Amino acid sequence: MYSKWTTRLIIGLTLTFLIGPFFIIILAGLSDGEFMTFPPDGISLRWYAKVFTVESFRDSFKLSMFLAIFGTIAALILGVPAAYAISRYKIPYGETIKTIVAAPIIVPGIIVGLALLRYLVVPLNFTVTLALFMAHTALILPYAVRVVSSSMNNLRSDMEEAAVLLGCSRLGAFTRVVLPNIQSGVLAAFILGFVTSFNQVPVSLFLSGPGVRTLPIDMLSYMEITYDPSVAALSALLALLSVVIVFMAEKFLGFSRYV
Amino acid sequence: MFQNNREGLALALPAAIFTALFFLLPVGFLLSEAFKVDGMWSMQGYFDFAIKPLNQTVFLRTLKLGFLVALTSAIIGYACAFSIVNLEGKSRGRVFGLVVLPLMISPVARTYAWIVILGRTGIVNDAILGLGLSDTPIRILFTETAVFLGLLQLFLPLMIISLVSAMENLPKDVIPAARVLGANWLQVFTKVILPLTKDGLVMGGTLVFTGSLTAYITPAILGGSKVLMLETLLYQRVNVANDFVSAGIIATILIIMSFSANLLLKRIAKARS
Amino acid sequence: MKKLLALSTAIALISGAAYAQDKTLTISVYSFGMDAMKAAIFDPFEEVCGCDVVIETGNSVERMAKIEANAANPVIDVAVMSAHDALALSRKGLWQSLDISKIPSHAELYESAKDPIGDHMAVGYGFYATSIVYRSDLVEINSWSDLLSDELKGRVALPNITGTQGPLTLMMLGQSLGYDDLTFSDTIDAIGESADDIVTFYNRSSELAQLMLQEEVIAAPVGRFAWSRFSGADLPFKWAEPSEGQTGGMNVMLMTKDNGNEELAHQFINYWLSNEVQTRVAELKLDSPANATVVVSDEIAESLTYGADLINSLTMLDPGAIIDNRDAWLERWNEKVVN
Repeated sequence: MYSKWTTRLIIGLTLTFLIGPFFIIILAGLSDGEFMTFPPDGISLRWYAKVFTVESFRDSFKLSMFLAIFGTIAALILGVPAAYAISRYKIPYGETIKTIVAAPIIVPGIIVGLALLRYLVVPLNFTVTLALFMAHTALILPYAVRVVSSSMNNLRSDMEEAAVLLGCSRLGAFTRVVLPNIQSGVLAAFILGFVTSFNQVPVSLFLSGPGVRTLPIDMLSYMEITYDPSVAALSALLALLSVVIVFMAEKFLGFSRYV
Repeated sequence: MFQNNREGLALALPAAIFTALFFLLPVGFLLSEAFKVDGMWSMQGYFDFAIKPLNQTVFLRTLKLGFLVALTSAIIGYACAFSIVNLEGKSRGRVFGLVVLPLMISPVARTYAWIVILGRTGIVNDAILGLGLSDTPIRILFTETAVFLGLLQLFLPLMIISLVSAMENLPKDVIPAARVLGANWLQVFTKVILPLTKDGLVMGGTLVFTGSLTAYITPAILGGSKVLMLETLLYQRVNVANDFVSAGIIATILIIMSFSANLLLKRIAKARS
Repeated sequence: MKKLLALSTAIALISGAAYAQDKTLTISVYSFGMDAMKAAIFDPFEEVCGCDVVIETGNSVERMAKIEANAANPVIDVAVMSAHDALALSRKGLWQSLDISKIPSHAELYESAKDPIGDHMAVGYGFYATSIVYRSDLVEINSWSDLLSDELKGRVALPNITGTQGPLTLMMLGQSLGYDDLTFSDTIDAIGESADDIVTFYNRSSELAQLMLQEEVIAAPVGRFAWSRFSGADLPFKWAEPSEGQTGGMNVMLMTKDNGNEELAHQFINYWLSNEVQTRVAELKLDSPANATVVVSDEIAESLTYGADLINSLTMLDPGAIIDNRDAWLERWNEKVVN
């Protein structure tokens, strides 16, 4: 069949195309020059060092972390019960509910930010941070429901039924039987949600206020001032952070099954 | 399956209410603005939008690039997914991990690299000059080609993932069996692989097409103001002209395009089987 | 412990910084060089006034939209923006006249900065010249019309029409081509015919700098405030002195109507216009002085738009003309150039 070499060639070329640019970013950040070049113009760590001294990067990193962590937690608090209900109950209007929860996936992000700015922030005095939190939660929710549902579907429902028959309460059955069995699915959903939120650009494009900017947006506005290699350095650092997270997730969870 | 449906509803409703209230309602308001002219319900905004030549150009360009990116990623995706599925256990997991990896990285970082790669003095032009394909550097930045490459790199992993999971369900011996029965590779692909992986193709195609339509960073950085796409046009209308009517119209168009792409692919998949 | 820390950060973020002093001045400014501007103007002013300065930044469209949305109950006390943006909001009645008697530094300003949009609604605080930056080893630029010359085919960038530099470029290019009306129709058509030979219509000078440093572009019109990006580079960049002259513009300071903070606002405006602050800002190369009493060294002047001779020689575009015509410009541009 398919020869070994063809297989390797195809995979090699595809991976070069997909991953090559990151090596260029990492190296461009190492440049000693004043602007981005490849090959780098001399080698220095000064741009990597500069990343940590830019105050707005620190603030926006904190905000992005906050949104990614608490947005995902909120999405899981809403999403796990919903996933449980969808896979275990025959709920009235089940399809409608599923459609509503999944809807954020197909709405262009830029519109979401704009809509929340116009109808929540301006007239209702929501803070920009709160609006961002709402938007990110709603955006992560469909992923949380999907991933958790799929791991719930792999779990046979007769185990809980047995537990209930043996005198366990419904809540007890959930926490003692279901939750331990879907915990890797929940963790996978958490990581997926975290990454989705952390890298989110379009939604946050219109949702920024004084001192309130997510990290990707802050990188864009930093680029409005200068294209110096520190943005490349920051991109590389964030990429490495993602690699570490994904590597750990893959190692402990077999994460790619859930994506 | 539990019978207490009210309990189930109580569990599922908070998620639905949250999304409806804080997400769909504001978005719905914004979209409805496009149907209002001077406070009256009207389609006039759409007519005005449709007759502007720039809007037509941008619409067609977005459709074209979305289609090309989806098609190209399907072709590469099949070759790549087939190769991955043929790998042995451990290296298979590793390669798959590397394919997933770019999805986890900020699109700002992913797009940024291309400015350097595609420039006059970048490695692509170095290669073109070195191989003697052209005497002068080729202008790639701020062309549709640049946007195409950026989008392809951004969304190809989604296609590969969808196709790999579809192919994993392919019975191991169908391809050898078809070969033994005298089918050539093209026949194997069209008669065996394609029908059995069409769900993955529909899924991947929808994700890639929708993603390409709604990407902002890539067309903004690599296309600039010369290669406007619907998403960058939307941003420009709002930011430069405070034109929320056009914004609502473009958003509606994008949503309809995503929906129709999904329906169309499903329809094609059904028709073939 | 870590969890607690994260949680309290979260709470602080949501509730917003609620630890303001009694006296607070809220200003809306460009984000350009924010850290340096803060150190040079805003932080020292906090000590002078014994008040808190809250800074809001963003691009001008965003900032204008917010000022307009909050017109009934102004959040911003003092704003800075381009003269034509200021005039646009002035026509909507969002500003109040400045009381010149409360701004002693006003007398020291260049004549054109004293009352740029009428009724003392605004006061100019900085000028910039706009001309063409080019690679002197590769081309020679003597006229604005050289932008469309054969030599520059495929190597030239122009500022986007939606920015401040775009209309200025159109005006000068039009003059050099012999068109002299404010509809810019013929000029836009001429650009449209050469659109394929123009690398891009850039939105930010940072973007242009990257393109020129990676040799994608060898000539482009740009504001003098961005000159230091080029003058410090290894490549031989030169600032053109076209036969039609240079163009330019002015940024102005304004005070929102009924903000209830007029005392502090006047104090701040006067502070920014004072010889002391204008000199400091000029020496840091952050902005070119509008205060005529400022004296800087030749080395500093090189990076700025400095001196009465230069400032009086700039061909400026009337703010009213920009507002009245820009929709039509954009319409034609969208049809002929980027379509």
